[in-house]
Amino acid sequence: MTVWPAIWLTVKLAFVTTAILLAVSLPLAWWLTTTKSRLRPVIETITTLPLVLPPTVLGFYLLILLSPTAPLGGLWFRITGDTLTFSFTGLVIASLVYSLPFAVQPLQTAFAAVPRGALDAARTLGATPRDAFVTVSLPLARRGFLTAAVLTFAHTVGEFGVVLMVGGNIPGRTRVISIEIFTAVETLDYATAHVLSLGLLAFSFCVLMLVYVFNRRGSVRVA
Amino acid sequence: MPDRLHFRLKLRRGRLFTLDAEESLPLQGVTAITGPSGSGKTSLLRALAGLDRDVAGARSVTFRGVEWDAASGSIPAEARRVGFVFQEPNLFAHLNVAGNIGYGAKRRQVTSIAAIVEALDLGPLLDRGIEGLSGGEARRVALARALASNPAVLFLDEPMTGLDSQRKSEFLPYIARAVSQAQVPALYVSHASDEIVTLADRVLELGGGHVTGWRTAPMRLTARVVAEAGPGVEVRLEGSEADGPGASISVPLRALPGETIGIGLPVESVHFSVHHPGSGSALMVLPVTLRSAAGASGQAVLDVLGQTVTVPGVMRVPNAQSFWMSVLRVLPRPMVGDSPT
Repeated sequence: MTVWPAIWLTVKLAFVTTAILLAVSLPLAWWLTTTKSRLRPVIETITTLPLVLPPTVLGFYLLILLSPTAPLGGLWFRITGDTLTFSFTGLVIASLVYSLPFAVQPLQTAFAAVPRGALDAARTLGATPRDAFVTVSLPLARRGFLTAAVLTFAHTVGEFGVVLMVGGNIPGRTRVISIEIFTAVETLDYATAHVLSLGLLAFSFCVLMLVYVFNRRGSVRVA
Repeated sequence: MPDRLHFRLKLRRGRLFTLDAEESLPLQGVTAITGPSGSGKTSLLRALAGLDRDVAGARSVTFRGVEWDAASGSIPAEARRVGFVFQEPNLFAHLNVAGNIGYGAKRRQVTSIAAIVEALDLGPLLDRGIEGLSGGEARRVALARALASNPAVLFLDEPMTGLDSQRKSEFLPYIARAVSQAQVPALYVSHASDEIVTLADRVLELGGGHVTGWRTAPMRLTARVVAEAGPGVEVRLEGSEADGPGASISVPLRALPGETIGIGLPVESVHFSVHHPGSGSALMVLPVTLRSAAGASGQAVLDVLGQTVTVPGVMRVPNAQSFWMSVLRVLPRPMVGDSPT
């Protein structure tokens, strides 16, 4: 039983999810940091919800939402001829929701830590708000960016419940490492389970270590 | 086009007015803005600079005939060309010293910052990061950064907050020189009398968010540098004779022979007496004639070696036509070109 398809699938999923989430979370985190809108607590709660919801609950609702009988899943099915459930695209959508807080929170913390005075100074020195955002806020929040990327990647690699609910267990299509481990244990293939589990343990340790070493040097902490 | 900054501001937080002030400031030399903590000094500068747009209220600001804030619209902060030096240095931590100074210069098409770097002794620091700077160095970089952005007016909001008195006395001449060299009018928020006597050409007072009025400008004489003397220079008061009284004193200031400098006279360091007090600890003893006595509303105006000095109302002047003025301590400042009026 080769484990490489599962590893490749997991890495691909984590990369795609991280890239999309960073792009989405950047404006979202900035908005949450600066807005005075009354909607802020609502949006903040929604982005944090995946952190506390059981993955099965999240996965269940996503399964309903993405199924070909639901409007979203149906639309996708009519356009592409493929279902969102039990597909890689469905996994990506599920991972985006599931890992959202891990991208938004470090960015939000980093943006909140950008000194207001530096932004005021930039404005008086001739920078438009957008210019100040690009040349002052973004560089000062770069540690938050790295933290968000690393945590999102690691969290996506480690997800299980949501993937199982939405993607099932199709080799090469939706069977990621954590599900491969589950399958291996079910079939009493402890050797494979050991290899993959130890690999994930080492990976997670290294990633967290990286984040902490990195943030020890900077002022931005993990949310 | 009037060379003035006119403002009428009504800003509120909740139902309380934090600032309800109107005044017209001449855009010449240094206008000090003083008043107790919470009197609205910082709010005023920030509102004038176009910051804190989220604070509710009515704003009307006209700078040299251009409407910065009006009912019809506003000019954004980045287009007002206000060189703002904040209470904190507010430097950009991700840029080095040169990057900080160049930030505004780049955006305002300023090609050379060499003169500013030179005047503020920042040459050796240009490649340094921000973390390693001392408090005084960081202030100098912040001042240079504001000057390098080619400002039309300088706003200095207690720029020496947090410095110890030694660092303050080192930094103050830099401010004085920068303000005079840049030939840019400045608003200087401070409640430290030494800073005001050194720098200010006029003094506006705030209290409780309102303008409470103009204070008498600090007493100041002009002098000319005659020679360098140790760490400072030897200066002679304008109008004094070579061997006359108070002919020359040395002051701790960097200046070139021939330069005109201002000699600020702190109120508590000036004494008047009908008779010559004789040799003593006074830095200089000068003959004075009364030009106009203090009336019910006006202040006494004196003639000191041909220079006109207006005495603040809090001081008592002898009831005589001519008398003596002893000066125990002076606060010099450089002045390039003609002294601002």
